[in-house]
Amino acid sequence: MKSGEGGALTTTVDKAMEWARSNSLWPLTFGLACCAIEMMAIQASNLDISRFGSEIFRNSPRQSDLMIVSGTVTKKMAPRLRRIYDEMPYPKYVIAMGVCVIQGGPYHMGYSVVLGVDRVVPVDVYVPGCPPTPEALTYGIMLLQKKIRNEADR
Amino acid sequence: MIEILEETKGKDGRRNIRVAKENLVALIAELKSQGYDHLSLITGIDKKDKLEVVYHLHNVKENQYIVVRTETSDERVPSISSLYPSANWEEREQYDMLGLVFEGHPNMKRLFLPESWVGHPLRKNYDLSKVQYVNMDEDGNDYATFDPGDGW
Repeated sequence: MKSGEGGALTTTVDKAMEWARSNSLWPLTFGLACCAIEMMAIQASNLDISRFGSEIFRNSPRQSDLMIVSGTVTKKMAPRLRRIYDEMPYPKYVIAMGVCVIQGGPYHMGYSVVLGVDRVVPVDVYVPGCPPTPEALTYGIMLLQKKIRNEADR
Repeated sequence: MIEILEETKGKDGRRNIRVAKENLVALIAELKSQGYDHLSLITGIDKKDKLEVVYHLHNVKENQYIVVRTETSDERVPSISSLYPSANWEEREQYDMLGLVFEGHPNMKRLFLPESWVGHPLRKNYDLSKVQYVNMDEDGNDYATFDPGDGW
């Protein structure tokens, strides 16, 4: 965004849309395992993600546009996860939180765990850790906002 | 009198009873009449040539635990779901994970995995190299599919 000297504000429609989208990310309440406890912390008053435009966690996929996959994705949960993802309206984004979601983590050799949620849904930002700290997840959300505004460091 | 094969005491004073599977139902019915009214857990152990089933019973009033073990070489154990209703799902879980067939169970089906899943995951001879996935059809019913590739 550029601001003219005379107080006029000039921008393109795309830039304005990206800015609006990135600053009103509504996450979906989707806790699968222990990472969900850390996910809860980011919307509490200490690390309030409302400061970055992500408001309250929504309970319906139809009202949200960010899915934070927090916790081990089992093979039984994977088709349900895909169905919930399909119910979200566009534009939609996914954050993979924790090593279980990224590649299976400590359950890598198990019979029941999906080795990475990116086999089920497309992932925008990976937040590693076991579990990641709430600060790391907040940073992940800020990276996603940068990505939406098309200025992420590649 | 019920024939007990072996009785030991654990470090915490917990009684450990080993019994033949023919006498299992009679022994557990006897223990239930003695006040062990809570079935805490049913679990199983794969010992390669035989399967062991372990029942943890709890006397709520006196806070006493007792462990009953039995062995089977043909995967068949008598069901105790007529004595403890909570044994229904516990036995289905053991059937799902270890392939133990509980005779006399009213609904001997898998508890967690879909019916078309091949193998029982907690068995020592379970083939982990063939990766299976769970899929869901339009009605929400699960079915298992194999990975078309080589797995890992």
